[in-house]
Amino acid sequence: MNRREFIYGVNGGLGALAFHSMLRAEETKGPLAPKVAHFPQAKAKRCIFLYMAGGPSHIDTFDPKPKLRELHLQKFKRQSKFLSAMGSGERYYVQSPFNFRQAGQSGIDLCEHWEHLADVADELCVYRGCQAESINHPTANYHMNTGNRFGGDPAIGSWVTYGLGSENQDLPGFVVLPEVAYPQGGAANWSNGYLPPHYQGTTLRAKGSPILDLHPPKGVTRGQQRSNLDLLAQLNQSHAARRPGHTELSARMDSYELAYRMQMKVPGILDLGQEKETTREAYGLNEDRTKEFGRRLLLARRLLERGVRFVQAYTAGWDSHDYLGKSHSERIRSVDQPIAALLKDLKQRGMLDDTLVVWCGEFGRTPDNGKRGGGERLGRDHNKNAMPIFLAGGGVKKGHIIGATDEIGDTASEVAHPIRDFHITLLRLLGLDDNKLTYFHGGRFKQLSQTGGELIKELVA
Amino acid sequence: MQTQGIQLTAAVLLLAGSWAHAVEVPADVLFARKIQPLFKVKCLTCHGDDPEKLKGDLDMRTRAGLLKGGESEEPALVPGKAMASPLYLAVTRAHEDDWSAMPPKENDKLSDEQIGYIKEWITADAPWPDAKRVAAILKEADPWGETDGVMVKTSGGLDAGWTNRKYDPQKLWAYQPVSKPAVPAKGHPIDAFINARLPKGLAMAKHAGAVTLIRRVTYNLTGLPPTPKETFEFVAAWEKDPESAWVALIDRLLASPHYGEQMARHWLDVVRYADSAGFSNDYPRPHAWRYRDYVVRAFNADKPYDQFVREQIAGDELKPNDPDHLIATGFLRMGPWEHTAMSVAAVTRQQYLDDVVNSVGVTFLANELRCAKCHDHKFDPIPTKDFYRMQAVFGSLSFQDRKLPWQKNENLTGIKTDRERYLRLQKTKAIRSITTLPEDDRPVLVFDRESEKIGHGKVNRKRQQQLNYQLKRSNPLAFSVANGANDRIHILKGGSIESPQAAVSPGVLSLFAGSEKGASVTLENSGRRTELAQWIANKNNPLTARVIVNRVWQWHFGQAIAGNPNNFGGTGKQPTHPELLDWLAATFMEGGWSFKKLHRIILTSAAYQRAVAHPTPETMAKLDPNKTSYAVFTPRRLTAEELRDAMLAVSGELNRALGGIPAHPEINEEVAMQPRHIMGSVGPAYQADPKPAQRNRRTLYAERIRTLADPMLEVFNKPGPDVSCERRETATIAPQAFTLMNSPINHARALAFAARLEKEKPNNLNLQIVRAFQLTFQRQPSPAEMKFCRDHIAKSLAHHQVTVPVKVEPPKYVIRQMVEEMTGLDFWWVEDLDIYSGNEYVPDLKPWDAKPHTRALAELCLVLFNSNEFIYIY
Repeated sequence: MNRREFIYGVNGGLGALAFHSMLRAEETKGPLAPKVAHFPQAKAKRCIFLYMAGGPSHIDTFDPKPKLRELHLQKFKRQSKFLSAMGSGERYYVQSPFNFRQAGQSGIDLCEHWEHLADVADELCVYRGCQAESINHPTANYHMNTGNRFGGDPAIGSWVTYGLGSENQDLPGFVVLPEVAYPQGGAANWSNGYLPPHYQGTTLRAKGSPILDLHPPKGVTRGQQRSNLDLLAQLNQSHAARRPGHTELSARMDSYELAYRMQMKVPGILDLGQEKETTREAYGLNEDRTKEFGRRLLLARRLLERGVRFVQAYTAGWDSHDYLGKSHSERIRSVDQPIAALLKDLKQRGMLDDTLVVWCGEFGRTPDNGKRGGGERLGRDHNKNAMPIFLAGGGVKKGHIIGATDEIGDTASEVAHPIRDFHITLLRLLGLDDNKLTYFHGGRFKQLSQTGGELIKELVA
Repeated sequence: MQTQGIQLTAAVLLLAGSWAHAVEVPADVLFARKIQPLFKVKCLTCHGDDPEKLKGDLDMRTRAGLLKGGESEEPALVPGKAMASPLYLAVTRAHEDDWSAMPPKENDKLSDEQIGYIKEWITADAPWPDAKRVAAILKEADPWGETDGVMVKTSGGLDAGWTNRKYDPQKLWAYQPVSKPAVPAKGHPIDAFINARLPKGLAMAKHAGAVTLIRRVTYNLTGLPPTPKETFEFVAAWEKDPESAWVALIDRLLASPHYGEQMARHWLDVVRYADSAGFSNDYPRPHAWRYRDYVVRAFNADKPYDQFVREQIAGDELKPNDPDHLIATGFLRMGPWEHTAMSVAAVTRQQYLDDVVNSVGVTFLANELRCAKCHDHKFDPIPTKDFYRMQAVFGSLSFQDRKLPWQKNENLTGIKTDRERYLRLQKTKAIRSITTLPEDDRPVLVFDRESEKIGHGKVNRKRQQQLNYQLKRSNPLAFSVANGANDRIHILKGGSIESPQAAVSPGVLSLFAGSEKGASVTLENSGRRTELAQWIANKNNPLTARVIVNRVWQWHFGQAIAGNPNNFGGTGKQPTHPELLDWLAATFMEGGWSFKKLHRIILTSAAYQRAVAHPTPETMAKLDPNKTSYAVFTPRRLTAEELRDAMLAVSGELNRALGGIPAHPEINEEVAMQPRHIMGSVGPAYQADPKPAQRNRRTLYAERIRTLADPMLEVFNKPGPDVSCERRETATIAPQAFTLMNSPINHARALAFAARLEKEKPNNLNLQIVRAFQLTFQRQPSPAEMKFCRDHIAKSLAHHQVTVPVKVEPPKYVIRQMVEEMTGLDFWWVEDLDIYSGNEYVPDLKPWDAKPHTRALAELCLVLFNSNEFIYIY
């Protein structure tokens, strides 16, 4: 009896599947098999990417600008040949509604609403130099996620999974935890682009079935499904016997096996009830404000623990064109406790040293605003020249502020780098060389940075 | 305008690949001819083009810069001593501990020959003649002659180094004139060409057999399975006279209206068809469907390809009074595009121009012209100037939705009811407060009323905007273009509109004519596109016919002769059978650019009719590991659309009507109800059409919303509509199994299939099973299969007799939640689903409306839909 007959034998499927893990070692040759990094000495083995969709303001989170107190509501006009409707007309400066303090031994600037993050300030590497190229949400999202403003290219999580494979062959290598509403630009933000489809981000959805059609329709029993799978295996087996040499047949038979394993395993992983009450509380699961993002981060930790290579967690609503004080304080407080809990939890489990944590949005916000509906609104427009970012974990400088913006936060002025350099740096932290992590498509070897760039050395420990 | 392939002598072609190394030249000539151009292409992007941002502080624009070195504070160049020069050590990539490999990207590494030149130059004391001397050297005879490649004359590059560079003639294959090669042997020309390149000692697979063939060709030409009757009749005819039966079958299928649908599906992959515009708002393009149907009509009518090309590029200029000529120009607007208050108008205009030039290049010429946007093309003889000259062809183009009455050849079903529906929606208040729901159904009881008020206002405005677009659909308009005032087109440094350089006049690619003048088109604002179209749709254009016959070949064999159908440049895969490709291209043009003639030639070849199994697989694996010999036919998986259409055809539910406004099949309900961000709001929930006949249309007609993909089609590798797709991916991934095995939509197909079997073969399980096998597999079940199918149904019946299905109805409304940006607080609203709550909606057959026997039989049907035999074509 060969291995396949063994698995698909008369009792095929369910019973036999239990033996599958014994055979796994010989099987991990597929597209998601773990691979050796270009820089095997790199500390970070996995990544969690916290995405603040809408464009969080650097000026009101990690980059205080006291000068704006003097300039508050002072009027001016922007001068440029290339102005959007949003950027033209009379403008006025807006001071931050928040107070700042320096937290931790290292004195990281944090606005007053980062209450919990202050506890782990010495783990953070705040970066003030990154610059985007687009001030439209979807194109800026595509840029931050895929390196290409117009979409269609592979997401960074796809590249990393393509480069490193995954440690768990029963789960996708790249998992995305979106809000119920996807960010602007939709699923193209975690597309595999031109990479093979194994590297596509798999969404574990916030509501309903975590993976689409993970379970059969209501009312279909497990027994009936088992019986269908057994008949399918029988038909496929006799078909395969008539079609020797057609290798895709066994891959497709395997995919039903994997699907069945996932169907059994995923609900357990998603069951946050298996966590201790103290952990659940720490992530903010008992508070309305923090429970949504807290759930995603706790789930993210469970996935990372099980060998998923790259997890991206979204939270939106940072697009504060008005009522900045109210809206940004709400947003900050909804993520503050969960993020601090995640960092502490990873550290306590010994995972922070080999996990890269990234926090950013698609762009930053302007120090000024334009009139809207006739009134002076206390908010900020989109700013591609400066944005807030912090990193933590594997291979990252701890307790540092890298780079700077000008005195009003209009544009990055020190250690300023485009997104492609930020991407190259993230890849390097994960042991990957952007110049080697390439894929031939459309006439050339393509890469995340599009055409290369440079490492932001200052961020690397 | 001259259009002919670049001329290369046979002698040069023979030299390709056997570079002469033994040329003795003075070192300053070596510098001018080899070293400086090499630095330009491989080094200066980082070490000189932008003197403000020199990587590693190394300036390679001058000898002094190299002698000074970079941040290592060591000279990069030690004249006379290559082994002491970091420049040399870096390019060898063998001293990485001390000097990082350069250029950094592995795939940009220098060839041994190039490294040799650098060594030779350094050893000869690295002379660096001034610009005047370099110019003089370049005027002298080239000591390498054509032994190290050939020059191609163009309108000229941004610098002389590029203008004078040489190309490996093999990589210019696609730019040479198409000549019709002699057929190397008797018999079918295709087979003669294939046999001529067959690896020695490799046998051919035998004929596939009648049943396999009718399944193969019916899916191939129509995207649908053959019926049992068609299969039976073909096999009977085949047994009498195989050849005439095969020809008759091809004729029947080419005459089928579904032929045009299947070919349109291929074409729409290339041109990025969608019914919406993408990006922030993803506004509907309410009349894009007229272009989609134009493509179907064009294939069905066997419109000559040259005409098809001309209509899409310049239909409005050529025959402004012919409806199809106007509709065809929708091609020029197929890409995703958006302008918002946050975009700069000049920037979005430039994005459009960049996109349309690239799209024309990729679609008709298999050249990614955008590679020449920021610099002269790195690999192909396409200067940046040509890219912008092509843009100038479109410089007068403006978008125009032209008034164009509905045509007799268009399917107008549903336009009126569609209009009535949107008018009704405009009048009704389709969003309401969650306070209108019973308390138990509300997501929250306490919320910020101010946020709700601001939020609802925005959501309502946005909804109105969307409804206006949808209402536009009932106005007879064509998604088209017109000529207006001319934009002045400049070469843009680095592709940036902030750095305009010299202005350019309109033109086409200059590599064929060899000069700017020979590749110019009219300066009038009307007629530029006509001239471009005529230059492309021309027997003397070496690319056009090759590109399309190569695509058609792939549509038949699953693999192209030149392996990158969108890239015939030097980096694309070389043709496996160049003579065959040229013979097909020449024959295609001789036949009046007729697709149907081309299909007939291909389908009557023995290559197309071969079996997938090789008599000696070991020999095959050894002699033809990449399966490019056509000794066997390569099996393929059904495409996403074919899979859905085939299930509908087999279940008897398929509405085979052609064309019309976009249909709304059922898609995964969670995705349909999931909020979809559009600027400042959430897009309307996706609702399926009310009647089964409206929903169960061919997938080609399903509305293609860029930010809302049908997840079933997506997992089966339907490509995203933002990038041209030259070939579909077919990889197997686990979510395919989830969709096919678990989706309620496919369960409904299986149930309808079971009901059909019961209706056609009442009260006879054996006959039902036989019929099921015939419909899905085109064959009878074996006795063993019959037995385990019967057993399965008996077991399932026992289960279904004691099980009451859980009734699930489509939702009547959906609750939306957003963060109000102005307050940072959540707000909610209720979106009523007019179709699902109206009385028009008729569901497909559902388990709770079916008898236990039907449900038990449906279990078998579901398994058949999941089986490998159903999903693969041999």
